[in-house]
Amino acid sequence: MAADEVIRLEDVQRVTESALAYLDLDDLLEELLDRVTDMLDADTAAVLLVEEGGRTLAARAAKGLEEEVERGFRLPVGRGFAGRVAFTREPVVIADLGDSPVQPVNPLFREKGVQSLLGVPLLVEGEVIGVLHVGSLVRREFNERDIELLQLVANRVALSIERSRLMVQGRIAATLQRSLLPRQLPQVPGLRMAARYLPAADESAVGGDWYDVIDLGGQSLGFMIGDVAGHGMAAATYMGQLRSAIRAYALDTEGPGEVITKLAEFSERMHSRMATVIYATLNLTTWEARIARAGHPYPLLIRSDGSAEFLSDAGGPPIGTVGGQSYDEQALTLDPGETLLLYTDGLIERRGQQLSDGEAALTEVAISAPDEPELKCQAIISALTKDATIADDIAILAVQTVGLHDLLEVKMPASPAQLMTSRHLIRRWVEANNGSDDDCAAFAIAVSEACANSIEHAYGPKDETIDVRASLVNGDATVTISDHGKWREPRGGNRGRGIPIMREFMDEVSVEPSEQGTTVRLTRRLREGK
Amino acid sequence: MRPELARLSVESQGDVELARVAGEVDASNVDELSERLLDAVSNQARALVLDLRETSYIDSSGISLIFDAAARLRNRRQELRLVVTPRSFVGEVLAAVSMERSVAIDPALDDALRAVDAAGGSNGSD
Repeated sequence: MAADEVIRLEDVQRVTESALAYLDLDDLLEELLDRVTDMLDADTAAVLLVEEGGRTLAARAAKGLEEEVERGFRLPVGRGFAGRVAFTREPVVIADLGDSPVQPVNPLFREKGVQSLLGVPLLVEGEVIGVLHVGSLVRREFNERDIELLQLVANRVALSIERSRLMVQGRIAATLQRSLLPRQLPQVPGLRMAARYLPAADESAVGGDWYDVIDLGGQSLGFMIGDVAGHGMAAATYMGQLRSAIRAYALDTEGPGEVITKLAEFSERMHSRMATVIYATLNLTTWEARIARAGHPYPLLIRSDGSAEFLSDAGGPPIGTVGGQSYDEQALTLDPGETLLLYTDGLIERRGQQLSDGEAALTEVAISAPDEPELKCQAIISALTKDATIADDIAILAVQTVGLHDLLEVKMPASPAQLMTSRHLIRRWVEANNGSDDDCAAFAIAVSEACANSIEHAYGPKDETIDVRASLVNGDATVTISDHGKWREPRGGNRGRGIPIMREFMDEVSVEPSEQGTTVRLTRRLREGK
Repeated sequence: MRPELARLSVESQGDVELARVAGEVDASNVDELSERLLDAVSNQARALVLDLRETSYIDSSGISLIFDAAARLRNRRQELRLVVTPRSFVGEVLAAVSMERSVAIDPALDDALRAVDAAGGSNGSD
């Protein structure tokens, strides 16, 4: 082996060394410029990067020409020495600067007394992203070997720059994505909800999946899930626009079908990318669900008897594909203890697998997983992602109606807007336990009055909750309403009437104040069902 | 989609305002309802007949609305009468707070309108 070949092998190792990957970009560039000047016995070295738009080059790192970076030097692609390298995408050698038709734009070269130059392009998948050049203060002719070695360093630099850019973009997309997902789901009497978002394992693949739950004025709830085609910043941004558009349409539209129809028009006007989406509403009194679906995987309905069914009616194409579509709805009424599961395709799609296999796997784990929605979501995700890295984002949203067994426990936000939902839930519970119409009405008003007392007297304007617990023992139904605030005696004509009304409709009413809060206990013997 | 908990409709029959409340009245909508109801009664009106036959739910905040409305109208020398189906849920709630001692309650709309007419006749003879 010739001596210069031995040196060369060492040089190659010095620039491809894996430990370099752990340096941040600035340190890495500095280190590589140090090494390359040393290996090529050069005096100056610089990295210039093509700026956004592709028309200019800007100095990013330099050695021996540090002022180039400090002064923010820029030149148009095509002009001067570096501009020519970027334009031709070929190495450019200048043996004698005093005698060359190609001249650097930057006067710094002359000031420093640079005699000879070698520049090579930084290429990523055939695209020029910048230029790396070295210079010598003594006149010399850079040879083929020098060019090869410098190109090797250039490739290494290009790779690191690209990786770092993707990582930064991926991180921004992931941050944007997270900021657009609800930080917590609303608390609704009679419903249990859980959601998860898992970003793709590769940060640059993040973006575009979302879910959201909207309070539609206390009497119904809107929920959505969607998936924008593509990844990164653009997908995350568009996702944010769709989410806001649905929120806006949801508040002044008749139902989910109309919301998705309008969303499709919106997407058409924006000439934007494709997206799949489901928007559904749930009436909090009747538990009637209305679902509209645009190209999105079917929702899964998991029944309390352990069966499950994909809701495949009333779908339309993804938005942003075919114009002028109108979307229908699938309507169904949820029974107590049923779960509606919405998810994005990342959960069920695996490379080299049929979609139906993914659906079958989801059904199986959804049925066997624990009932509690948080645990259910967790179990489903664990089971379906255990053998694979997560190639695509995954979003999952579970909405469950409570079971109306002889014991019912719900948390209610301390807000008048929740009174109606709470009393209808209690009404349903009494009915499910064979109470008469009178029993239903009696508990509805007594519980509503007790909750109103807590809302008005126990709490300040902060977000607080009230615990409502209903139980049935030997035909006596008891509902307790517990707050965690400081009870004030009802005052004024209004609340003063609450207690007499409770007493009128209940067999027993007791108010139990304690350090932790106040519990109102309401008991009534259920008269035989109708 | 934002269904209203209660719907209020008001019409004038001569110098009597007739207001119907359909749906549920609780602390979440009582303020809005109260405002709209009092706005609907002009100074020229002799009486307000509040028809609660389509009201499926009313709680103590709704009861307060009625007491307040009765007091304000009395100050303006206007009369308030309620129409409530006997033995209905709303009827029971009103009975629980002895509403009949403060505000006249009729089982049918005709009864209420006749009673207002009769009162109007006696006023007219003053």
